[in-house]
Amino acid sequence: MKGSLKDLARRMIAIDRRIIFLLIACATLLPLLNPFGLPIKVSPEVKAVYDYMEALPERSVFLLSFDFDPSSKPELEPQAVALLRHAFRKNLRVIVMTHWITGTGLADGVVSQVAAETGKTRGKDYVFLGWAPGGYALIISMGQDLYKAFPSDYSKTPTLGMPVLEGVRNLRDVNYMVSLAAGGAGIEMWYVFGKDKYRFEMAGGSTGVIAPGLYPFLRSGQINGLIGGLQGAAEYETLIGRKGMAVAGMDAQSATHFVIIILVVLCNVFYFVLRGDKGKKA
Amino acid sequence: MIFLKRQLPLAITFVMGVAFALQYYIPHPVSEEAITKVSDWMKIISGFALVLGIASVFHVHAVKIRRQAPGWGYSGVLFAAIVTTMAVGFWSGGESKADGGQTAFGWLYDYTMVPLQGTMFSILAFFIASAAYRAFRARSPEASVLLVSAVVVMMGRVPLGQTLLPGMQISIGQFIFKIPGAWDITQWLMNVLNSAVRRAILIGVSMGSVGLSLKIILGKERSYLGGGKDQ
Repeated sequence: MKGSLKDLARRMIAIDRRIIFLLIACATLLPLLNPFGLPIKVSPEVKAVYDYMEALPERSVFLLSFDFDPSSKPELEPQAVALLRHAFRKNLRVIVMTHWITGTGLADGVVSQVAAETGKTRGKDYVFLGWAPGGYALIISMGQDLYKAFPSDYSKTPTLGMPVLEGVRNLRDVNYMVSLAAGGAGIEMWYVFGKDKYRFEMAGGSTGVIAPGLYPFLRSGQINGLIGGLQGAAEYETLIGRKGMAVAGMDAQSATHFVIIILVVLCNVFYFVLRGDKGKKA
Repeated sequence: MIFLKRQLPLAITFVMGVAFALQYYIPHPVSEEAITKVSDWMKIISGFALVLGIASVFHVHAVKIRRQAPGWGYSGVLFAAIVTTMAVGFWSGGESKADGGQTAFGWLYDYTMVPLQGTMFSILAFFIASAAYRAFRARSPEASVLLVSAVVVMMGRVPLGQTLLPGMQISIGQFIFKIPGAWDITQWLMNVLNSAVRRAILIGVSMGSVGLSLKIILGKERSYLGGGKDQ
């Protein structure tokens, strides 16, 4: 009996990884096909972003920086869509840009799509500045003079004189800023070279992987809110009352997390069954 | 020659390092104008760095193909992809949209780059699951702590975990005891333990960066100058 249990444990520990891949595929696909729609709990860090946006007066300037590329699209695009929907619903003036050259087309597509669905006009209600080189140097440049940093927007329209940028000279005139970041050039850079120098309020949105690293900035008040991963996006969608891609994806994420937890628990059970075997053999 | 290769870069580094460390604390128009000018230079340098990066990628992979090093076929694919994207990009004038429609460059971005990058990233989920199954074992007390924390956070960060392990209140006489659920424990772990540890790491990294910057400004650290006959 004991021997057969050990045999089973040995076989299970060396299980073909394609079986694990299959389990993960099923855990992802089945909830997407048959969603079970569990309630989404809203965290204080996401609520803080929503509350700040909600408190902004009409025509305030909201800057959204798409600091990611298509590889982080599943997590960060839902955040961008939810934030843009909220900003347009609040009738804010929206400035969109990106620090990642490979994210330019993606950012343009998202802002155009959300603007079209909310009936907003390019140049009057929002502007997509596109990408410019420099990283932190670009932020400093925007902090000095927005029109020197971006003389024209993504569609080659001169930025000077655009109705959406009326009264905006530099980053000091931005009322709220959110950086949606997938890595290095993102929230930390915006804080150090932007907020700290030019004094505007900002929050962050990030992939689930880098979110834990941003909690010190949140706790110290360097960012006033944090939207972390697909869960954060789902929370924001819940807050604006418009469920979208993130809420739909949370069922799949729930199932995948549970499959991984079950696998890890099983692996440890088999590990304890086999523990000591090595020593005896030696 | 040695002056151009050594003394001049060291002098430029020292002057610029000291000047722009001080600039941060001087809110005078002259100081602001200086940072604006220098940030423009940095943007131009970044643009050149991009060109240099592309040239370097071409060079590395050209050598691989010429020597037929293992995996040189992938280098060929990379070359074909870069050349095709650049050709289509120039042909479309660098625009992804024109006359209200999509250009060939926009099509290439939407239908190759976006799905390919998404696929690369999503494959990670499968490998992480497989790696977690094989490596996430309670071999030591430290590994056990990591394991338990990971399981709790994974449960607390998804609605299914929050529903299965909700917090609850128990009243015994006049006392009310709150038993935290997966969500509450996750919030505590992220906001308290994670924040404290990350802060310590951040402070350490920042101190290291300040130290390294000082060494570079003062000319103690010279590896950025590269090696050469005159070094």
